[in-house]
Amino acid sequence: MVAALGRWANDKARDYAYALGFCFQVLKETALFMRRKQVAFHVLVLQILFTGVEAVSIVSLIALSFGAVIIVEGGTVLPRFGQTSLLYSILIVVITRELGPILTAFIIAARSGPAIAAELGNMVVSHEIEAYMSVGINPISYLVVPRVLGVTISVMALTIYFNFFGLVGSFLVAQLIHPIPFVEYFSALLRKLQMRDILSTLLKSFIFGVIISVVATYQGFKVSASVTEIPRAAIKAVGQGFVLCFLADALITLIYYV
Amino acid sequence: MGDIVALEDVRLTLGGFEALRGVSVGFAEGKSTVIMGPSGCGKSTLLKVAAGLIPPDSGRVCFRGRDIFQMSERALLGMRRQNGFVFQDGALWENKSLFENLALPLQVHFPEVPAADRSRRVIRALERVGLEESASERPAALSGGEKKIAALLRALVTEPILLFMDEPTLSVDFAMTGRINQIIRDQKGRGSTIIAVTHDAQLTASLADRLVVMEAGEVLASGDFDEVKRSPHARVRAILSEVLKDIASYDTDLLELLDQDQEPGER
Repeated sequence: MVAALGRWANDKARDYAYALGFCFQVLKETALFMRRKQVAFHVLVLQILFTGVEAVSIVSLIALSFGAVIIVEGGTVLPRFGQTSLLYSILIVVITRELGPILTAFIIAARSGPAIAAELGNMVVSHEIEAYMSVGINPISYLVVPRVLGVTISVMALTIYFNFFGLVGSFLVAQLIHPIPFVEYFSALLRKLQMRDILSTLLKSFIFGVIISVVATYQGFKVSASVTEIPRAAIKAVGQGFVLCFLADALITLIYYV
Repeated sequence: MGDIVALEDVRLTLGGFEALRGVSVGFAEGKSTVIMGPSGCGKSTLLKVAAGLIPPDSGRVCFRGRDIFQMSERALLGMRRQNGFVFQDGALWENKSLFENLALPLQVHFPEVPAADRSRRVIRALERVGLEESASERPAALSGGEKKIAALLRALVTEPILLFMDEPTLSVDFAMTGRINQIIRDQKGRGSTIIAVTHDAQLTASLADRLVVMEAGEVLASGDFDEVKRSPHARVRAILSEVLKDIASYDTDLLELLDQDQEPGER
């Protein structure tokens, strides 16, 4: 029993040490990325295309739907309490501060996280990582950093896009319930929007992007020898990505607004 | 000439299994060394450690006297430029075309060479083995033999002075084996150092200047091919006989020599 507990603690300590070492390497190689004569630039472009551009349609749909839901719910409940004017504040708080960053992060964590983990896991098993090393390519620099940068840039861009589309969605649905002039709607929204809301959404999306990409690449690289480890790595990439994004979201909100 | 790569008391445990147990062996510059031993004895691991792809738990791995795992990034890149590695399963990059697989090492090591020149070099390499028509194909579209030969071309495209090969002719048909052997012989003819793990008696007979025999993570014998082949060590002779037995039909002279040297009852 004690021996088993000791082995478990030892394995956990080794895992954390490996994770810390991995994060340090990613940080170091990211700092050096622009200074190197990079052959990895096209990997970054491809990652932005895959994670960012290809996710635009699904983000649009979800943002429009959520914008519509909030305006319908708000438009129904708030007048009963004589608080119709709060609708714009609620739109800003819910979409810009919270739903925009977290839902975009979930979409990317569910879509790109497992893809990245599975792709890298496959590369480990088929010795492609060793092949990169054999020709003098640092796998962290060539495979991880472009994915971390690509996912982070995509999450940030898609979050801004989500916020915009969410607010547009709510405007379109508002036209069906009680039409508001375009200028009046957006000028009311802009009056409620503060600089710290914009900074909050950018900070959150940046941190979520880093979390999703580092977790996914770490899980991919943790695959050691067998293809049966790959689905587990993909699942862990999503699960850990979700949990860490939730925790980071709560922490940032607490620090930022309390 | 001295050793281009030398391992000193190298120990390595992988997944709880002791893969290398205090291995000390040198690989002479300009010579071809074949590593033999039963399956699972640590040959491939030794090759990867010698190439600096897997760090050992203890011991030193030196390239021209310098510890590979203590090298600066720049020195390591310089060493990689002089090395080529052929993996047992080819390990071609599946998300790249055949052309890109060969072009990437050139892009990394010769960024100053114009892209058009690098492309010409890749096409010339592919033409040499008749794969130029498949340049835009992904590795998944190639046959097993074509993958092997492409992996060999990738390792050779930077014109290395040291070539590591892990079973370069394993699971390859007779015709393709002949083409691969010819490319390897040409490379040997250029004076390159070759370190190969192989069970191919034909390749061994035509390539080996030196022989390393391993068992259970240890080097049992190493030295000149003829010396090791005639080793009085019973286990060495038994392993060579065992390893080469299955492909005796391909062999021309190696088993005959082994048979001549062996006493009845030793096998």
